[in-house]
Amino acid sequence: MKHVLLMLLALLLSSHVTASEDNYAFDDPNTRAQFLRLTEELRCPMCQNQNIADSNAMIAHDMRRKVYALLKEGKSEQQVIDYMKARYGDFVHYQPPVTAATLWLWAIPFAFIVVAMSVVLIRRRTTVDDDNIEEKLAKADAMLKQEKE
Amino acid sequence: MVPEIGNISLTLALVVSILLAVYPLWGAYRQHDTLMATARPLAIGLFFFTLISFVCLVYAFVTDDFSLAYVAQHSNSRLPLHYKVTAVWGGHEGSFLLWVLMLSIWTVAVALFSRGIPHAMVSRVLSVLGMVSVGFYLFMLLTSNPFDSMLPFFPVDGRDLNPLLQDFGMIIHPPMLYMGYVGFSVAFAFAISALLSGQLDSTWARWSRPWVIAAWSFLSVGIALGSWWAYYELGWGGWWFWDPVENASFMPWLAGTALMHSLAVTEKRKAFKSWTVLLAIAAFSLSLLGTFLVRSGVIVSVHSFASDPTRGLFILGILVILSGFGLLLYALRASQLKSPGRYQAFSREVLLMGNNVLLCAATLVVLLGTLLPLVHKELGLGSISVGAPFFNQMFTWLVVPFVLFLGLGPLTRWKQQHVAALRNQLLLAFGLSISAAFLVSMSYSQPSYMAALGLTMAFWILITSIQEVLQRIGAMQDNDSMLRRLRKLTPSHWGMVLGHLGFAVTLIGISLVSNYEVERDVRMAPGETVSLGGYEFTFRDVVKHQGPNYDADIGIFDVFRNGEKVVHLEPEKRMYTVQRMPMTEAGIHSTLTRDLFIAMGEPLENGAWAVRIYIKPFVIWIWCGAAIMALGGACSISDRRYRMAKLARLKQTFSHPQTTTQTGEQS
Amino acid sequence: MKKFPLVAVPVLLFTVLIVFLFQGLFSDPRELDSQATGKPLPDFSLPDLMQPDTSYGPDDLTGKVRILNVWGVWCVTCAVELPYLTKLSREQDVTFVGLYFDQDLDPDFGTKTLSRVQQEVTDMLSRYGNPYAFNIFDVYRDMSLDLGVTGAPEHFVIDAEGIIRMHHIGDINERVWNNKIGPLYNRLRQQNRSLEAAE
Repeated sequence: MKHVLLMLLALLLSSHVTASEDNYAFDDPNTRAQFLRLTEELRCPMCQNQNIADSNAMIAHDMRRKVYALLKEGKSEQQVIDYMKARYGDFVHYQPPVTAATLWLWAIPFAFIVVAMSVVLIRRRTTVDDDNIEEKLAKADAMLKQEKE
Repeated sequence: MVPEIGNISLTLALVVSILLAVYPLWGAYRQHDTLMATARPLAIGLFFFTLISFVCLVYAFVTDDFSLAYVAQHSNSRLPLHYKVTAVWGGHEGSFLLWVLMLSIWTVAVALFSRGIPHAMVSRVLSVLGMVSVGFYLFMLLTSNPFDSMLPFFPVDGRDLNPLLQDFGMIIHPPMLYMGYVGFSVAFAFAISALLSGQLDSTWARWSRPWVIAAWSFLSVGIALGSWWAYYELGWGGWWFWDPVENASFMPWLAGTALMHSLAVTEKRKAFKSWTVLLAIAAFSLSLLGTFLVRSGVIVSVHSFASDPTRGLFILGILVILSGFGLLLYALRASQLKSPGRYQAFSREVLLMGNNVLLCAATLVVLLGTLLPLVHKELGLGSISVGAPFFNQMFTWLVVPFVLFLGLGPLTRWKQQHVAALRNQLLLAFGLSISAAFLVSMSYSQPSYMAALGLTMAFWILITSIQEVLQRIGAMQDNDSMLRRLRKLTPSHWGMVLGHLGFAVTLIGISLVSNYEVERDVRMAPGETVSLGGYEFTFRDVVKHQGPNYDADIGIFDVFRNGEKVVHLEPEKRMYTVQRMPMTEAGIHSTLTRDLFIAMGEPLENGAWAVRIYIKPFVIWIWCGAAIMALGGACSISDRRYRMAKLARLKQTFSHPQTTTQTGEQS
Repeated sequence: MKKFPLVAVPVLLFTVLIVFLFQGLFSDPRELDSQATGKPLPDFSLPDLMQPDTSYGPDDLTGKVRILNVWGVWCVTCAVELPYLTKLSREQDVTFVGLYFDQDLDPDFGTKTLSRVQQEVTDMLSRYGNPYAFNIFDVYRDMSLDLGVTGAPEHFVIDAEGIIRMHHIGDINERVWNNKIGPLYNRLRQQNRSLEAAE
């Protein structure tokens, strides 16, 4: 276990005196984009409500570093997300998983659009058939006018 | 002494609000003129006492009266004077006093500017507003009184205002936001009065429309200011986070936008009455829900107030009574609302309603996304997060048909539009917007599909709006010059055009900044230079600075482009001494086409700093768009048709023939 | 009258919403469920805080019921619970193993030396008591991440097979020990003893 010690000492004793450098450097712009996306989509587990890109908490720092390391190892975006979910649960990802309980997030708005649009269109058909409607309306308009004057 | 006056005034305001809730309504029920006549003086009294109370609290802050617990917790003798004033709404109790002050302003405005509306109707509306007030004044006096005293043991100095709130944006953001939130209570009151009285014709729609537009405009400005503030103050350079507190203000805005358009249909075509009433109830209920979410602590957010279950319970009670009552009344009475549907599948009615449906679906998306984590957890299924990826995906899906309808709507006729008549115009608009978006996208080295889509939508709105104005002035049958014809278009018509253009501007900002933003997260020591997006950022130095209530490290940066200096920026890292809270003041240089954004991170060894640099293309268009939308709202309200004077009523009869000729043409 | 059910929908949905909001008032939205509970310890190989030559792995935490305590000198609550943990280890023979991590020791921008960390730890333990059998030094905070740690102090009850049986976030005080952790710990220890006796 000597290498652990060496690694540790190397870490603690070295002081970086390098020129301005990116905190997370990538050779490939795609990986860089993946990194930015992931740090924006992963949630800091101890913060109020922040992603790990925006948070200054230590845990967010560590998670950024881990995301970076995993991407450098050649892991895919999904693998990084799964890695974090295995440790912090579904909570850690801002995109909820699709389950029987979360399906409503997509289903309700969609169902609403379908139902509401059909009501708007069906209502049109049923009332257009009514021959008297124009007459009734004219009467109602007249009443309305009278009321106002 | 002054705090006591404030407290007494607040109590008197409660008494007045109870009288207001009872007498005019009873008067309207019994057709008793004297009782109804109490509505106006009572509304004025409500405003008067609330104002006195508010002024007393301001006075307590300005004079550093730390015997008041609220002042002691949110101010400090070293706080600059203007922040002492704004600290009045820097915490829960004071911001609630501002909330009720806004409510009383709306109430008194309705009382003063509704002389053209039947007596009984105004009385009912003011009574409903009185009922809303009773709940909130009771809430203040029982659980959140800003005049609670710390005597006899009060601190020598206060705990200071939250540093995040010591900022210009925060001075005007809450008043604007609350004006919007509370403003929807007027539409709610009109809808409830209409339901109560059984006068379910579309007159209430005309009366409440200017109030809704006003509230909506305030809310637009309030939300935009909040977003702008988060952008430069939180130091992350983001402008929207889908945080529950943001969502809480966004939901009433979406519902309010739907309501505004639905009111137009109900007023002009007498259609969808039931739906409009429901939206009016929903918009205010969502404001109440937002208040509950922000102040009860049921949801995790960066911005929420200190949570307290008792307060939460009380607001929930108000929500249950007001919205529950409203919805129950709706369930009982709405079936009497008969809306004649005299329209075809391709008509302005259907397009407007289509967008109404989409806006409501968007509201549902935000509502579900905000509350599902809570429900998920309560059902014992564990914690989940719903955030930006979900909302962005859903809104991208919703916005495409929305924009399509938005462009089509104003061009089409009421009742029925023949497709053939518009085909060429629409094909032209469509072709032009795609080509324009393509050209702009090509100017970027790595064009993004999403940005191109966003631009296409924005150009579509722009082009169809121009077509619509041309169509209108082309239809005028006189020989006036172009300019004079343009001037003949009504302010409310210009309001619509501006509203739509504002949305297009915001859309451009969002699409470009989301897809073409570049950033670097670097460690820099003084003397070093970093290049990004064609700019060189040189870190000159860090200087120490002592502010009135904070210590700061100021980074000195010069930005160059092609060797020429563009701007000198001084981002700061502040430490507020009383609250021991670090704050990032970003250094920002804005132009119409891009923002340069530098934020200091944490200090590293050897004098180096972690620095984040962003270039954000067209980001200020997001807020400019919101300002244009609000301007459109102001334009619409200024329309003489909405002045509630007798003259306006005469005008109304004149404008009637116009609509009949229009229908005549079509049938 | 066909329309009636449709107009009643909003008030019904509203009622459901209110029920959940009401329940939500009485629960802590920040409470998270642990992913580590019921799983074996993650694989690790980390040095001892005081003797970096010694190194530990998951096997060093089996054969006995232990409480793994995540802590650091920078953590105020940790200092508060140390005397009570020490008392537990002395009086009830509870085995605590420290999982130490340092906040200032940022692997990206390290400014602190190992000897300084050790000095601070020695100072703190001599002042408040030392309940630890030994301290594992989580240099890169990798193990903390693997365990789903969000801060300090946190506690993991680990049975004799090296399975995590409980993840407690926050400090251990008399109330927490008597109501939550103590009963489980004692039951596990009892099981292990009777198992050993049987063999």
